[in-house]
Amino acid sequence: MDALHIRNFSIIAHIDHGKTTLSDRLLHRTGTIATRDMEAQLLDSMDLERERGITIKAHPVTMTYKALNGEIYELNLIDTPGHVDFSYEVSRSLSACEGALLIIDAAQGVEAQTVANVHLAMKQNLTIIPVINKIDLPHADVAQAKVQLEDILAIPGDTAILASAKEGIGIEEILEAIVSRVPPPKPTGAVSLQALGFDSFFDTYKGVVTHVRVFNGELKAGMHIKLLHSGKNVEVKEVGSFNPKPYIREKLEVGETGYFTANIKSPKDVKMGDTLTDARNPSAALPGFKEIHPMVFSGIYPINTADYEHLKANLGKLQLNDSAFAYQAESSVALGFGFRCGFLGLLHLEIVQERLRREYNMDIIATYPSVVYRVSMTDGMVREVDNPAFMPEVNYITKIEEPMVRAFVICPNENIGDMMALISEKRGNVDHTETLDTRRVMLTSLIPLNEILIDFHDRIKSITRGFGSMDYEHTDYRESDMVKLDMLVNGESVDAFSCIVHRDKADTRGRALAAKLKEVIPTQQYAVAIQAAIGGKIVARETVSAMRKDVTAKCYGGDISRKRKLLDKQKEGKKRMKAFGTVNIPQEAFIEVLKA
Amino acid sequence: MNSTDITSLYVHVPFCAQKCSYCAFFSEASSGELIQRYVQALGRELELVADSLRPRTIFFGGGTPSILNLRQWEFLLETMHRLKLTGAEEWTVECNPATVSLDKARLLRSYGVNRISMGVQSLDENLLDRLGRIHSREMVFKSYDILRAAGFENINVDLMFAIPGQTMAIWQSTLTEAVALGSEHLSSYEVIYEEDTPLYERLHAQEFDVDEDLACDMYEELIARSGAAGFRQYEIANFAKHRPVADPTADKEAAAEESGMTRILPSQACQHNVNYWRGGQYHGLGPSAAGYVGGVRTKNWSNTEMYCSRLEQGQRAVETTEQLEPLARAAETAAFGLRMNIGWPFQQFRRITGWDMRPEWSVEMDQLITRGWGRADADRFQLTPAGLRFADAAAEMFLR
Repeated sequence: MDALHIRNFSIIAHIDHGKTTLSDRLLHRTGTIATRDMEAQLLDSMDLERERGITIKAHPVTMTYKALNGEIYELNLIDTPGHVDFSYEVSRSLSACEGALLIIDAAQGVEAQTVANVHLAMKQNLTIIPVINKIDLPHADVAQAKVQLEDILAIPGDTAILASAKEGIGIEEILEAIVSRVPPPKPTGAVSLQALGFDSFFDTYKGVVTHVRVFNGELKAGMHIKLLHSGKNVEVKEVGSFNPKPYIREKLEVGETGYFTANIKSPKDVKMGDTLTDARNPSAALPGFKEIHPMVFSGIYPINTADYEHLKANLGKLQLNDSAFAYQAESSVALGFGFRCGFLGLLHLEIVQERLRREYNMDIIATYPSVVYRVSMTDGMVREVDNPAFMPEVNYITKIEEPMVRAFVICPNENIGDMMALISEKRGNVDHTETLDTRRVMLTSLIPLNEILIDFHDRIKSITRGFGSMDYEHTDYRESDMVKLDMLVNGESVDAFSCIVHRDKADTRGRALAAKLKEVIPTQQYAVAIQAAIGGKIVARETVSAMRKDVTAKCYGGDISRKRKLLDKQKEGKKRMKAFGTVNIPQEAFIEVLKA
Repeated sequence: MNSTDITSLYVHVPFCAQKCSYCAFFSEASSGELIQRYVQALGRELELVADSLRPRTIFFGGGTPSILNLRQWEFLLETMHRLKLTGAEEWTVECNPATVSLDKARLLRSYGVNRISMGVQSLDENLLDRLGRIHSREMVFKSYDILRAAGFENINVDLMFAIPGQTMAIWQSTLTEAVALGSEHLSSYEVIYEEDTPLYERLHAQEFDVDEDLACDMYEELIARSGAAGFRQYEIANFAKHRPVADPTADKEAAAEESGMTRILPSQACQHNVNYWRGGQYHGLGPSAAGYVGGVRTKNWSNTEMYCSRLEQGQRAVETTEQLEPLARAAETAAFGLRMNIGWPFQQFRRITGWDMRPEWSVEMDQLITRGWGRADADRFQLTPAGLRFADAAAEMFLR
């Protein structure tokens, strides 16, 4: 297909604003897929994605569309992960496009996630086609949505297409707008092939299947190509596109989107956003490449220690389709052998844990998540610390810096007070307040990433009774008075509960952890002291008093068998307990606290 | 008598006028028709085991055995008589104070029942109500008199403590009144929150809290008061009077007793229960009843209709069986035997289990002794008063 008849676009939307329904409509309308083959929401192939209404993996789909001008166009829909955790993936996917459909729910208006994603699209200089969706809803307020488009996103409201993906309204206009408004791809003018690898998945038979967008030249089987950032040379085995099932094509030309395989064994060999070029006659790299680094770390441990190898194998499998996910072995006094895992953000962390539990049926426990701190040492070195256990002693530290995020919180007017209080509790500063409409405001604030890790999102939802939304983008590091909080049980530090917190919050967190531990540590035959300590200073203490007896129940003929089994189970359980001095702590207790 | 004969018989009567809020035993409030069917089925089950059974102890538990009417009792007792199962040295029937009549008491006594266990639980009206008991304080005193009048000289009173809402003062007054009855035996245990009971549900609905400290204080109070009233503790939850027979050695042993460390069983101890803690064999009849014969633990179907229909087809109604490895079985016997104050005489343990406790459990015994929970003499190992309060921990250590 000549480049003039190719359009590459993606769809940006807040969760539930109708992205997937619209995608399905486009596939259907272009005859890419017949209705009877349509399992609702085709593009989201992971169960988890479907359940949460978000897309984690991007799938490019090629459609053929006969426009009203009578000409045939190849439309490539490059789906993007809808969450800022994956902002680099989003930006890579967006950079494979020339345009984006921006979907806004006519009843809900602009949401926080929309704002963050539009910012990304604008940075990529994409042509944005606003679509006001769900206009069939009784509460639809199209005028309001247009005002928000202009006020918040600086997009002319009258350029918006009115649609209802569910009812099939406006689909034609959208397709026509893609053809007429999105510019066709233009060759870069480089001497040879330039293609962007923007995602990959692992196929047992073919190895890594890389999603590509060709910017210059052509990509076909048999070519020797160079991956500029990975520094690898490979021979292309197969090229193709998706409809949405993969099909082999002879070649991919300028502006076209699809995939290639090259017997690549490990997804780590293809860096996200890498540029492919002709190995014999290389061109320069496409702009925008970044190495991706995990932002959030957490230990993942098998609940049953015997599952360690199993967990290791499954983490490996997960990584095959998620190159942003990193892990390495670690061990904890409290939890035994496990893995330190790195994630792009909160949602990523949650998704990986959920997938391990559901798809891989693993019983796991995750430790308190940590961000990466920059620690300047007295010897002039700067260390990155993502695990409280490796935080250097205080006297070697000159300063600690922590990662910040810019958070966008959209909430109903009546919750502004509570929301400001929450943000300030989370050590954030609101630097921007914008009125979205008569009901809602958007607060833009700078908040330490570590503060939004745990319950920020839930608290917003509870304050606003579900009406609030939040999204964030990573910014830079800022110096902060962080301390390491240790939890001691009968004088011994329990590593699983150590955490890095701001000094102002250390006491409160220490007290809360001590109280929670007191609740879950079973009474022992001896008294147990639980302490929270910063450096050598004890900031909180609880005591689990000694048990006075453990026996009460009657035990006659009918009880013996049952009682023996119960005691047997307890005995077995004690083997899995961790001894801290004379104190036995069941693993369940750790799990309880970590869950809390 | 054949040496392989079973000498203990437990019979489960799975009916109650109303289910108590704490009770996880299998029982049901049920129709007269099913009770009648059960009685017939039980008759058949007795026939099936009669050949290997020469009971020295019998225990009818429940449920509420006393809920059976006169004619039903007459049928069962007559069946037992015909099968030569009467004449046990100790024959106990559990009674609910609300269901004791003089006629019934006399009938039981006339066939050889010689011990009654009364499910008193509390003497506080509010608590009785709360526990879902159908009897009142007055009924307790009245039925106690009826039982004495019918000629029962061995009566046990069951009491519960740490009942939600029970204060120390209420417990003390219940204890005072209960020991004043002058029974030969006292059983008393803390309320257990068993799953699938209304009480458990209410605990989990956080209608009340468990006060561990108060429960411990109540247990100490129980031991002090029962001791002062002439009871001797012989097992964690069991207390009995001692009427020394004219046996010079026994008296000497009694005289040698140190505080809290006893070497003899009180004479009024429940022999039937002692058999359980000594790892003895017993047949268990009736729905849900457990038996232990030839090293195999069995449990009957807990469904009364299922139980009946099995027996109507001439089959035993066993739902599950369990046989432990010899060492595990000996360990279980060791573990539960330590619940008794007299502990385990080494010779007796070896005779019963075939294992010598000293080499096999020396590590555990040493640990218990070090903690002050156990004591070993030349002839026995027993738990100290402190150790008896951690008998579950000790049992857990002994299990293999």
